[in-house]
Amino acid sequence: MSSIAPEFRLSRFVASLTDLIFWVIVIFTLIGLPIVFILLFYIKLPVIDDKLLTPYLALTWLADPSRTLPIIKSLMHTDFFRITTFPGFGFAALLAAGTIYIERKFLAKMQLRVGPLYCGKIEGILQLMGDGLKLISKEIIIPAKADKPIFWVAPLLFVGTAAAFISLIPVAPGWVVADLDVGLLAVFAVIGFFPIITILSSWSANSKFPFIGGIRALHQMVSFEIPLILSLLGIVILTGTLNLTEIVESQQHYWWIIFMPIGAIVFFTTILAELERIPFDLPEAESEIVAGWLTEFSGMMYGLVQLGSYLKLYAFAALFTILFLGGWNGPMIWPPFPQEIITEGIKMGPITMHVPGLPLLDQEMLNGTLWFTIKTIGVILVILLPRGVFPRIRIDLLLHTGWYKLIGLSFVNIFIALALVYAGVLGPGGLIQ
Amino acid sequence: MADAVFLAISVLTIGSAIAALEIRSMIYGSIALMVTLAGVAGFFLLLDAPFVAMFQISVYVGSIAVLILFTVMLVRRELIFNKIEDPRRRYAGIGLMIVIMLGIGTIIIGSGIKSMEVDAPAVDFREIGKDFLTYYSPALVVMGLILASAVIGALTLARREDVTDEQRTD
Repeated sequence: MSSIAPEFRLSRFVASLTDLIFWVIVIFTLIGLPIVFILLFYIKLPVIDDKLLTPYLALTWLADPSRTLPIIKSLMHTDFFRITTFPGFGFAALLAAGTIYIERKFLAKMQLRVGPLYCGKIEGILQLMGDGLKLISKEIIIPAKADKPIFWVAPLLFVGTAAAFISLIPVAPGWVVADLDVGLLAVFAVIGFFPIITILSSWSANSKFPFIGGIRALHQMVSFEIPLILSLLGIVILTGTLNLTEIVESQQHYWWIIFMPIGAIVFFTTILAELERIPFDLPEAESEIVAGWLTEFSGMMYGLVQLGSYLKLYAFAALFTILFLGGWNGPMIWPPFPQEIITEGIKMGPITMHVPGLPLLDQEMLNGTLWFTIKTIGVILVILLPRGVFPRIRIDLLLHTGWYKLIGLSFVNIFIALALVYAGVLGPGGLIQ
Repeated sequence: MADAVFLAISVLTIGSAIAALEIRSMIYGSIALMVTLAGVAGFFLLLDAPFVAMFQISVYVGSIAVLILFTVMLVRRELIFNKIEDPRRRYAGIGLMIVIMLGIGTIIIGSGIKSMEVDAPAVDFREIGKDFLTYYSPALVVMGLILASAVIGALTLARREDVTDEQRTD
């Protein structure tokens, strides 16, 4: 006799299960199937091997492992896959989640602590999953006098804006969600939304600590946007384009950080300020104003804001990689796909299996993604590093740094770029191409 | 497709503009104003001018709307506006706006803009930049000087001689 559910009867349990199955079948046939057919009417189905891929054919092919690959391949070239999975949200969210764990371990090692240890036996590797489960299962508390619509929407908008930022990042040649001609300007436009969302969410909480934090965040982000934009103008002058893919392609032989170290330093500092990371984490100063503009968030709302800020961290690190560190360019280290599998098939004893469409991804793309990921993780680690070393700086020093020193330095960077162009060293028709 | 998008953006822009004027809460009003400005950016995108659209978003939504929001939050409403509730003022305003719009509309339709090419190729923003730096360079220089003088003037106005910063050590 179990003490957890004393009224438990197996017959009732089975009856409820069959009841559930019955209703699922009824609802699916009456509502689900018509919806599926209406959707199929509008969806444009791909053509594989000169055959229209109807759902029936797709299900048949999925059962046959040697014919599944063309379906996956055609799926991987749809916009849906790009937005949700590879250069878009899924890839970035994976890196962002990894960043949270790495940050905790890395800072702990730097300060001679152990960090997360118990969850998952090996170095606390499941800590992140535990944190996620905790955040999902917690209650969402909304302050009584809060402005509810804005308060609810703000975390979603934050994640959405970060995702829009990510969609502009080219990861490998041709692998980008939105390849805009004015990509860099689009980045500036997207960055401009973050202070609005921050100040709106902090105002809507109707509490003093979020509001102080929000005002600080607004000051900091708006004043550091100017050196951020100015520090990137040098690259635009030298490459003559705003398209991020073309900027990466212009760095095949040398990286821009070699010619514009001042611009890189200014951009890195403004990244730290825009991300509200130590030493510029005044909006979240936990020793003064509880948690800054995040104080009133709880449960998964807080989780969404954290996800958004780590997505933003990834996006800024990726932007630094693209603009200064050559993006996906690097020596070819990815091994080529073995040719005999394509020509002869996989041999397993007496059986030979021919798999059509096997090089699922070409070597260039895999190599590019590898280099891009390595460089981006390196930049993320350098962004995390000051958190273990520096204290928080005073707000007047922050604004002084932003308005006097960084803007001055970014103008110096622009003049260096102009000098390189007019001396005929770089740029269109320069000595070094 | 383009017509439907145009219609949707028009409804969004005009609707949120009316909302920006009519909503009592000033924060919601400024959010509606942001939607209006973003809708104008949408028109620029439809007109094959992504460069202008991105600047519209980053300058108007990203900076000016933030300034408006900031002002609204920090200053009490009674200090900026004194309320005069009079329905006749509203009707007069709507009437005046309709008259102005009709006037501008007749001028535009009469100016021969009807006969423009619809499917002409989009003008590359690089060409505009090239024109700015060659043929129209005096205008660019004058614009730069005006902006620089505005910034210097603002800095001079914002400078306060009477306050000494006691915390600052440098």
